[in-house]
Amino acid sequence: MRYGTTIKVPFGPQHPALKEPECFLFEVEGDFVVNVKPRIGYIHRGIEKAFENNTYMHDLYLAERICGICSHAHTVAFTQTVEGLVSLEIPQRAQYIRLIMAELERLHSHSLWVGIAAHEAGFDTMFMYLWRDREMIMDLMEEISGNRVLHAINTIGGVRRDINDEQANKIRKYLDKFEENIKNYIKVLETENTFLKRTVGVGILKPSDAIALCAVGPTLRASGIKNDVRKDDPYLLYDEIPFEVITHDGCDVFARTIVRCEEMLESIKIIRYALDHMPKGELKVKAPRTFPPNESIGRVEAPRGELIHYTKSNGTSKPERYKVRSPTLGNLASVCKTLIGAHIADIPMILAGIDPCFSCMDRILIKKRS
Amino acid sequence: MEDLIKKIEPFGVLEFKRPKERRIFIRIKSEFLRDLISFLIGEYDLRHLSTITGIDLGEEIELLYHFSYKHSIEITIGIKIPKSSLKVPTITDLIPGAIFYEKEVHDMLGVVFEGHPDLSPLILPENWPEGVHPLRKDYSIEKLKELIKK
Repeated sequence: MRYGTTIKVPFGPQHPALKEPECFLFEVEGDFVVNVKPRIGYIHRGIEKAFENNTYMHDLYLAERICGICSHAHTVAFTQTVEGLVSLEIPQRAQYIRLIMAELERLHSHSLWVGIAAHEAGFDTMFMYLWRDREMIMDLMEEISGNRVLHAINTIGGVRRDINDEQANKIRKYLDKFEENIKNYIKVLETENTFLKRTVGVGILKPSDAIALCAVGPTLRASGIKNDVRKDDPYLLYDEIPFEVITHDGCDVFARTIVRCEEMLESIKIIRYALDHMPKGELKVKAPRTFPPNESIGRVEAPRGELIHYTKSNGTSKPERYKVRSPTLGNLASVCKTLIGAHIADIPMILAGIDPCFSCMDRILIKKRS
Repeated sequence: MEDLIKKIEPFGVLEFKRPKERRIFIRIKSEFLRDLISFLIGEYDLRHLSTITGIDLGEEIELLYHFSYKHSIEITIGIKIPKSSLKVPTITDLIPGAIFYEKEVHDMLGVVFEGHPDLSPLILPENWPEGVHPLRKDYSIEKLKELIKK
């Protein structure tokens, strides 16, 4: 139905659907969205500027603090970028430990997201189950690194902590349980009518739009496009580990849910393989404190998609420029496209569909305090 | 990819380097930017723009367009524009996904992307003083803090 007139509805920065502050200005006609303008920056912290004023060693810990969910992905990208400045090769065991942590992080991030998606669809029981199981992964990460969120396990030139046999066995044991539960949840999600009604056909992103708008990660794969940095531009030891890139042709929120669920099963396989094939050896090599003038790019498949870091060094211990592009900013253009034509009631579901992480996206500026 | 160097020669190439596997840096004269991108889209189907980085070099601003070829080879195209005339044509008509990356560079470094549909602030607050671009080297963190206090 056409109303002929539109009104503008601000959604945020404080709003009930998302846990982080961000503003979307919706232009609606009746119950439907006709236009959307995102206004980001509410949690802008000036991180890129701060990088230029700190040494590489300090910046490693700054990078970890870009995001509270994919903190490890940011340090993997950071170390890859900075080690790339001097072509530093790190020991195999360190690569495996980074990789195991990265996959554990994917498990916790995806289970967190699927829980939130269920919650947005009004299926709170599933939310509780997933977040209960997620605690197993959080416990594992705490056991390995000593920290739940900011793991601080990576360092320039390797890793700071080892995984011993006892810990490896604990990981295997927990993963068995986690895998069994996730398989059950997939069955439930695929058959639960309430969930299907809220997600199937909602937030359609056509493959052509996904490519044109440079979407990344599970959002892109749920539109049927097979792309994963771990496969296409392998880092760490992903090229040695057999795993599948999960895609789905649904192009909707349901497809995004299933892609993430099945990716969790793949991550479990990757971790098992890594634990079995991890060679004994050194954990790190000596890294320089200052870096000669050069430039380097690091690309990582974070839980939300392609994460890219760029740095330019100038011969000192501080970078000349450090740039971070998180996957949420990469998906912003595509989610805006997806929202046009959507029902107002579906806005939270669609916005949640890209698994937005706004603290990652905002980064650069110093927060304005009045 | 091997014949890439030869094919892009007419586009004012200043530097071509391949520091490691799957990383290519091409620096060109700024007037060839759109021509080269259109050519690469046609010839190599280069449609995924990862991001745009802006760097303050003092007298000039360098813009790096990070593309990925088949999501695998990261091709970075770099141009330099003088601070006296910070204008560069938009590529949003060629790569619609560039829309927010151009806006970000506009906010942070003050580069004007001619033909961009909407260059209103994306990250900076509405009442941010005009002409202050936080990622410029002449704005230190202390200076920005002073500014915010006011």
